[in-house]
Amino acid sequence: MNVTKFAIPEIIFGRGSMVHVGQCARRLGAKRVLLVSDQGLEQSGWVERVTELLEADNLEWVYYGDVNSNPRDHQVHTGAQLYLEAKADVIIAIGGGSPIDAAKGIAILAGNGGVISDYEGANRIERPLPPMIFLPTTAGSGSDVSQFCIITDVARQLKMSIISRSLVPNISIIDPLILLTKSQELIIASAVDAFAHAVESYVSRIASPFTEIQALRAMELILRHLKPALEKKSIHALEQLSIASTAAGMSFSNAGLGAGHALAHSLGGMFDVLHGLVHPILLPAVMSFNIPACTAKIGNIGRMILGPGARSDEEAALDGIDKLKQYFGEFGVPVRLRDILPERSTLATLAKAAVGDACNLTNPRTADEDSLLGICEEAW
Amino acid sequence: MKHHPSVEDLIGIEHCKLGFYQELRLKLEELQESNRESEQNRREIAAVLDGITDIMMVLSEDLCIISVNHVFKEVIGIEEPEGRYCYEIFRNESRPCPECPAHRSFLTGDVCRETAIFKLGDRNLQFEMVASPIRDPDKDERRILIFKRDVTMEKEYQAKFYQAEKMATVGMLAAGVAHEVNNPLASISGFAEGIQRRLGRMDLPAGADLDDIKDYVDTILKECTRCRDIVRTLLTFSRPVSSGFSPVNMNAVVEDTLKLLRSHLKQKDLRLTLKTDLSEDLPIIYGDEPQLKQVMLNLLVNAVDAVDQTGRGEGTICIRTYPENDEGVGLVVSDTGCGIPKEHLDKLFEPFFTTKPVGKGIGIGLSTCYGIVQEHCGEILAFSEPQKGSRFIVRLPSTPDEDSE
Repeated sequence: MNVTKFAIPEIIFGRGSMVHVGQCARRLGAKRVLLVSDQGLEQSGWVERVTELLEADNLEWVYYGDVNSNPRDHQVHTGAQLYLEAKADVIIAIGGGSPIDAAKGIAILAGNGGVISDYEGANRIERPLPPMIFLPTTAGSGSDVSQFCIITDVARQLKMSIISRSLVPNISIIDPLILLTKSQELIIASAVDAFAHAVESYVSRIASPFTEIQALRAMELILRHLKPALEKKSIHALEQLSIASTAAGMSFSNAGLGAGHALAHSLGGMFDVLHGLVHPILLPAVMSFNIPACTAKIGNIGRMILGPGARSDEEAALDGIDKLKQYFGEFGVPVRLRDILPERSTLATLAKAAVGDACNLTNPRTADEDSLLGICEEAW
Repeated sequence: MKHHPSVEDLIGIEHCKLGFYQELRLKLEELQESNRESEQNRREIAAVLDGITDIMMVLSEDLCIISVNHVFKEVIGIEEPEGRYCYEIFRNESRPCPECPAHRSFLTGDVCRETAIFKLGDRNLQFEMVASPIRDPDKDERRILIFKRDVTMEKEYQAKFYQAEKMATVGMLAAGVAHEVNNPLASISGFAEGIQRRLGRMDLPAGADLDDIKDYVDTILKECTRCRDIVRTLLTFSRPVSSGFSPVNMNAVVEDTLKLLRSHLKQKDLRLTLKTDLSEDLPIIYGDEPQLKQVMLNLLVNAVDAVDQTGRGEGTICIRTYPENDEGVGLVVSDTGCGIPKEHLDKLFEPFFTTKPVGKGIGIGLSTCYGIVQEHCGEILAFSEPQKGSRFIVRLPSTPDEDSE
């Protein structure tokens, strides 16, 4: 086995664990905090809750809420300017992947200067970043534990992947109670995103025993708890989805992803679709494409989806993928690319943009432009 | 994409989260050490700067004061000169002074020196200035360091020394002439008197010859008296210090001075017309005769020089005396010389100010006049039009009033 590495932040998990945010910030030397979030979180009252907690700990705070889903480069620049002008010392982000990725981008610029596109690629950050504390509100992105940061380059219409160990936050506080206020659609999108993280990182070229176990655990938890979570909104089920999302995050942060996320990034860059919603469409097609390179692993996934019964790896893989399509279909989300894209002719551009994405590197079967186009055609 | 990540990049064995305690601690120690060093340097430099007794300023390129030393504040008496312009403080001008060495220094990049007179408060002070450019490789803007040393006392003593030396030379000459001329003069005069006495006693036939001889002897005696007066006049010029106040006839002062300058006025290449208009009912004033002669002498010499400088080779000098109100006396010396430019008029009486070429004057003539007239509680005024001529008026009261000093 090759030398491998497993890096994650300090993780504080549990119902109500949010109350520790002030204390954690103090530990990291905070006097004035930059709090990053978005309008949705403001409206649901969670931003106010965090500011109350900070005030209770006698911390000053500056709020930056101008973040979209799929955060834009200029939003990161504005945030970094605010951080420096306010002379803030710690960055806290509460939200889904978008505010957290925006916060990571802000931290890069605050610590290193320049513009965000300077850091596109891997390991281009050379100076330390401000301490970061993240509070994920969707059980999906895994951004709160990962070394990835995805920012939309508005001019080039693509999502930049920035990869660095420095982007792993100092502390991730995961409070499943926040999930109670999420919409059905968001819970589905998040859980499917987490499931895709788990699958792609499980079969990744650089998967290790430490990531595989997390990935399998994540898949298992999502398959078992997503439906109850949606039907009964049971706090127990939501908590399990949180654990699954974090486990998937730990896995993909260290093992990387695959062609599915490469395509999802170019889709998001071009059409600004909700990231979680492209996976029910792409994942089965990507898995089918990958079977020749990792039949046993996809077979394992198939067996987990199908339940007990003796099958060959290949049978389990193919049947599993069919069952998975059916399973996604039950949630009433789009399962064909034609449902979310205006024209078939865009597929070529999409494939072209995805081939250079960092996620494509770790796909178990080498996927060139034609292969990616093939996957898209199949998903159409 | 600028840089394609590899699978190794994603594993990132050799990359860690940046920002270690150790690194921070080392940085902190380095910073503390360099802070200590720069603080020590700062103190040393401050001690060196405090030891400098000259005025010191750092100026920007547009001559705005950036910083000054404590001597500046003591001498100039301005607490916060930073941000004001150098020429505004020293000259009360709205644009840089023409002789400013800072400009030249900026231009050439060399150290430049210059001496200039500044009016600070009610005093004229002479400063020796040294301007040297400060180069800062990190910045584009250039700065200049200026030292100003007050050399007023030095220069005043020097001027007094020149004057004293001159007077001593004149005095020595006068004494020598007096000695050399007085003895033969005494003999001539004695013998002439003898002849005159004997002529009276001798019983000579009256006639044209006898009348001629008497006339000759009278003339010899009269000329002897004139020579004695000239020698005496010469002596009054040689007196080094004020001899005290006594009754003075200003017409006599004018005539005596003219006697002394007669040869000077007859310069070969200068056809000078001298007009005198001396008031017959001029009151006697109370003053220091040798010093007033000095004033007259200076004004006359200046007038001759002014005519000479026109290059026309001719000109007119008028000397007029008249009674002033309240039994005072007025003296006017006017010339048809080169005149004085307007911008120089108000500096005329400042010590060391001169428009004469280097070596011709040291600029203390008129300032000396000014001093003497002031001691007499009088005033001295100058009017001039370039290329047409100048007019100097001296007004002296009959008795210097002690209170007005």
